[in-house]
Amino acid sequence: MKMSKIVRTQANFLYPFILIFGFYIIAHGHLTPGGGFQGGAVIATGIALIAVAYKYNDIKKWLKKTRLTATEGIGLLAFIITAICGFGTSFFYNWLANSGLLFGDRVPYGINPGYLNTGGVLPIMNLAVGIEVLGGLGVIIVYMLSYVKEVK
Amino acid sequence: MRNALVAISLLIVFASLVYIAVNPGDFGGQTGEHLVFGEPKHTDMDDYFIHHGQNQSAANNIVTSIVFDYRGYDTLGEASVLFAAVLGAGLVLRALRRDKK
Amino acid sequence: MIFEYLLQIFLLIGLVILAYLAIKFKDLIACAISLGIFSFILSLEFYILQAPDVAIAEAGIGAGLTTAIFIIAIHGTSRWEVEE
Repeated sequence: MKMSKIVRTQANFLYPFILIFGFYIIAHGHLTPGGGFQGGAVIATGIALIAVAYKYNDIKKWLKKTRLTATEGIGLLAFIITAICGFGTSFFYNWLANSGLLFGDRVPYGINPGYLNTGGVLPIMNLAVGIEVLGGLGVIIVYMLSYVKEVK
Repeated sequence: MRNALVAISLLIVFASLVYIAVNPGDFGGQTGEHLVFGEPKHTDMDDYFIHHGQNQSAANNIVTSIVFDYRGYDTLGEASVLFAAVLGAGLVLRALRRDKK
Repeated sequence: MIFEYLLQIFLLIGLVILAYLAIKFKDLIACAISLGIFSFILSLEFYILQAPDVAIAEAGIGAGLTTAIFIIAIHGTSRWEVEE
């Protein structure tokens, strides 16, 4: 299925903005509302926009199912490994918080402007879950598109 | 007749939901405390997370620090459920394609 | 305060009307679009009830992904709902 030229031009124009907005939500998950799941869903919406506007033969060169599945597996694996790294105290221990290392700055109590280099393992877990949701929801769209192409 | 029955049952559900929203009664075993629509209940657990969250998990967003730090097992289950759902969808669609050939 | 209540009443009436339209239409793509607008108004309602996380998730999944999946599925089958 291929939409009209108006829809395709709009999709080309909107796709990078949707991508940047999704990665913004993922990267600022520990400062503003949102997080991994919401940002991944927004990016998957961008993939769905391209998938609805174009034919499957046009997009299958750069939206491969194997790549999306690998992205999903890597995300889930990174999430579990980050949780296992806190085994010195307990599973899911926030071992990077207030440590001075990466994402390890201390947060002043109360209202503050929000510093990006804080949060401990939260930004890493946000990124992992975001990648996982992006791959999972994207591969469902691509699977459905490839099957619908064969029905017609 | 059938449409009328559906309409009457939907009206009963709608009226009971409106009654619950306007007059929720006591909640959580504490009598005399009425919940108002749009004003959530305030508990000791909220105070703990609000006052200790910024120190313990070093993040401004208390919701994210609960989801990924305090209740991490919940998020692990959610991610596993999503993974299993995608696996099931892929298996079903692949089996359909093999049947067609 | 009265403005907030009025906005909520308008949004809830819009939800009921869009849910009725989604059942009533015979064109299935129109049904999918009205379900998408339903999800969008539901996400506005979540935002007014001070749950921005749920609002972003609803706007992304309900209004974006579900509509796209419905449109792909409708393209694979027939567009019009037929009486048995």
